[in-house]
Amino acid sequence: MPIRDTLKARWFWYSLLCIFCWGGWALCSKLGSMEIPSMAMQFIFTLGTIPVALALLAGKGFRLEKSPLGIFYSVANGVLAGIGGLALFAAYRSGGSTSVITAATALYPMFTVVLAVLVLRERLTGLQVVGLIFAGAAIVIFSL
Amino acid sequence: MHLPPWFWMAAVVIISWGIVGLLQKLSTNHLPADSALIWLVVGFLLLEPLMYPGKALFHYSLRSLTWAVLSGIFNALGAWALLAAMYRGGKASIVSPLTALYPLIVALVAPVLLHESITLLQGLGVACALIAVVLLST
Repeated sequence: MPIRDTLKARWFWYSLLCIFCWGGWALCSKLGSMEIPSMAMQFIFTLGTIPVALALLAGKGFRLEKSPLGIFYSVANGVLAGIGGLALFAAYRSGGSTSVITAATALYPMFTVVLAVLVLRERLTGLQVVGLIFAGAAIVIFSL
Repeated sequence: MHLPPWFWMAAVVIISWGIVGLLQKLSTNHLPADSALIWLVVGFLLLEPLMYPGKALFHYSLRSLTWAVLSGIFNALGAWALLAAMYRGGKASIVSPLTALYPLIVALVAPVLLHESITLLQGLGVACALIAVVLLST
């Protein structure tokens, strides 16, 4: 897909919005965790997600679609994200090098790419593969 | 070969968060982004009893608690945007690594907000991230 088409695609702009919001999340997490330990941060952080969910629910007139499969995937998404967070805290507490653990675990999107290609049959162009390599390098550098 | 305990925990992180990227795409094949986010928060809430810090919760400063709550708000908004990207046709194999570049914002804002200086290595990270954004959007 040419860059011009991508710039017209909504998914690209939503992805950039996600980057900005998660940048804010990372900054606030850093400021909060100066005093609050990681497990407590995760607990309070989850409380912070509730107003957003309630606002979206109100925007939908408190009516949700009845898709058992969609609900299952979404709830599993939240549970697995939380389990990953707990495992990360446990890894930090196990005495390993913080920078090594952070760099290693930051590569999780590459596992998603493998799954997306194998399970969802998504295809990548040569340039996108090179982009993934640069993304992997950036993610590791930022986590050091 | 003896592997340290942290290795297995890190493997759990990579596998669980890696699968999360797949589930995000699968969920938006069946639900719009707002509904997917609402159910995702339900999933978060299921784990709250494991995270409850006890009475210590009431001893943290209001300032730190505010940052922690704000982190949740920003995270949920970001997750909603990610789900919207996938719902609007973004591939999991592109959107997941693209949105994982959010430390780029931290690297750019931290010098101003936290008075931290950017190291040469971080500068290299910024360059790699910008190149990745351009290449992933082709």
